[in-house]
Amino acid sequence: MMELLPQALTDGILLGGIYITIAIAFSLTYGVMHVIDFAVGEWIMFGAFTGYYLNKWTGLDPFLFLPVIFVLYFGVGYVIQPVIHRVLSGTKGNPFLMGLVFTFGLAIMFRGLALTAFGFYSNSIPSAFSEGSFNLEPLGLTVTIPTVRLVGLAYALGITLILHYLLKKTNFGLGVRALAQHKDAAGLMGVNSKRTGSYVYGIYVGISAMTGVLLGCILSIGAQMGNEYTIFAFFVVVLAGMGYLAGVPWAALLLGLVQSIFMIYFNPSHTLLAVFAILYIILLISPRGLFGKGV
Amino acid sequence: MKFGFVRALLLIAALFVAIPVHAEQRNFFKIGVITELSGDLVTGGNITKRGYDLWAQEVNAKGGIEIQGKKYPVKLVYADAQSNPAAGAAAAERLITQEKVDFILGPYSSGVTLAVAPVVDKYKIPMITGSAESPLIWKNKFKYTFGTIPPINFTGATSIKTLTEMKPAPKTIAIIGSNDAFSKATAESYKAAAEKAKLKIVKFSIVPSGQDMTPLLSAVRSMKPDVIAFGGHDEEHVKFVKALKQIGYTPKALLMHCGITDKAFIDAVGKDGEQIFGTTCWTGTAKTKSKVLWPNAAAYAAASQKAFNNPGDYTQGGCSAAGIAFQTALQKIGAKPGMDEATRTKLITALEQIDVQTFYGRVKFATSGEFYHANVGLDPLTVQIQGGQVKTVGPKASVEAPAIYPMKEWKSR
Repeated sequence: MMELLPQALTDGILLGGIYITIAIAFSLTYGVMHVIDFAVGEWIMFGAFTGYYLNKWTGLDPFLFLPVIFVLYFGVGYVIQPVIHRVLSGTKGNPFLMGLVFTFGLAIMFRGLALTAFGFYSNSIPSAFSEGSFNLEPLGLTVTIPTVRLVGLAYALGITLILHYLLKKTNFGLGVRALAQHKDAAGLMGVNSKRTGSYVYGIYVGISAMTGVLLGCILSIGAQMGNEYTIFAFFVVVLAGMGYLAGVPWAALLLGLVQSIFMIYFNPSHTLLAVFAILYIILLISPRGLFGKGV
Repeated sequence: MKFGFVRALLLIAALFVAIPVHAEQRNFFKIGVITELSGDLVTGGNITKRGYDLWAQEVNAKGGIEIQGKKYPVKLVYADAQSNPAAGAAAAERLITQEKVDFILGPYSSGVTLAVAPVVDKYKIPMITGSAESPLIWKNKFKYTFGTIPPINFTGATSIKTLTEMKPAPKTIAIIGSNDAFSKATAESYKAAAEKAKLKIVKFSIVPSGQDMTPLLSAVRSMKPDVIAFGGHDEEHVKFVKALKQIGYTPKALLMHCGITDKAFIDAVGKDGEQIFGTTCWTGTAKTKSKVLWPNAAAYAAASQKAFNNPGDYTQGGCSAAGIAFQTALQKIGAKPGMDEATRTKLITALEQIDVQTFYGRVKFATSGEFYHANVGLDPLTVQIQGGQVKTVGPKASVEAPAIYPMKEWKSR
């Protein structure tokens, strides 16, 4: 069975790549807006269906539409954010809990809407990348790498690097980080919290929608698909440390590797049990995530 | 204090005692439908809905169910089980105690059916599920629950047998099932049949529902099984086919069950769906003859095509056949809408006695043994997707086209 180890590690890393794409923007929006957006899975689902229909109507590869989908959903997020901001900046009751309830409601509403608009069947997005795979043969062992999953990993790392650059090397990023650290102080330093929040939420929705296209090419799409991804996004972000963006890739890769190795070497039916057991143990030891840097 | 304690005890006792369901006078049959109209199993839930709707539409187009010379229309009252057994049980309580339905057409999934069956037993309301297939339902011997689709342990062996008749005969098999009542039972039935057929089982795994199975399939690939058999639901089938293709492994035969006969699956996977085997008990081209509603399978498929732009699969057909079973039993005892408990009990006896030829084939419920109240009147079929169509390839008596074996490599399609 040890000859399967290189394949298990490869599958785990590629699966981790998928989890990075799901969680990275979710972590960003939590870090800045301090809202756990339960609708993350639904943004992914909307993006997936947009890619599906654009491919169906034009016949072009869905990856070509990623910039269009980003811009479209950036706009949607930018417009919706002020509503969430209003809920979160209330002075009565508990705005944090209100924010939770609000996004939870959004998720349910979006799911129902999608069911009506897109129907109840599962679908798949065809792409030139979905067709092939290639083999590596290190030390006489064959390791298969599906092209579409490798593209997914490259996309995940690309998005991570772009976000990193944006946050660390630009004035906009400085404002975002200031806002994440102390909203009032950032405001006093001239950071427009409303507009910056809108940009961040727009970026998050745009990235999530693009991720949907990728997932549709790798896995499948359906009106009810969002819930599953919301759970995984939440898991990765908690493991990484709430709002700690740099921890997301490592937490996602850990999750992918645990799943892959457990599926191959242990009882596959206990895979999720293993995943959550590891989450609990890590949180017991380090309540602020893997690196102790979460909020 | 003592009085309060007694009152609390009485209250608790009341919770465990079913409130008698009083009959309502009306001139139409009020039928409760519990199915999965949201949640993970929404596809199957809506397919069952189509089956029930098509039956009701056809009955009402003919003026209703004729009982002793008078026609009574049917009215379906839906309750969403949300793909959640607890929600399904709550929906059954509501339909029975508030809506006071005459009888119930049951859920899509086995998990929800297992939760609803004790509730209908408690209130003595007959239910026929037109979809659920887990053997667990019938092993529990629920008196008020029936099913038109035979249990998977009744049908699963047929496909394995068909595959063992291929040349050269497969020698090894890997079996994977998703961890829900139906899918797990499917995998177990394939395992039992494979053991009986002396196929070497190189892998048997049950995986959590909805998971990415690529790592597991990578492990399976290293064992090079001739056959891969999978028990799951529609979305999982799509993911499974794509994962196999992505790791570049084409078994000689890929066998799946629920959902591959639906046109939507073929549309979703396109050419990758070609030559996949499935187990079913009905197709739109099945050679059936009936005097009730639709004269044969082709007429039903045409009606479905007209109503839903889809010819319907065996789940949808099973649901319409469930309506026909009720209709036949009601006519047999001359039951009228607003049935009391005594009439409902008679209806159970009538359902146990009916033996009716429908567009779906023969409906005859077992009255004892491990298939208690499941339909044992049908012959299971092995099907294969060929040229975008579902073709029956086994058993020999029902063959429409020879099976294509081994499967064509993914990369050369």
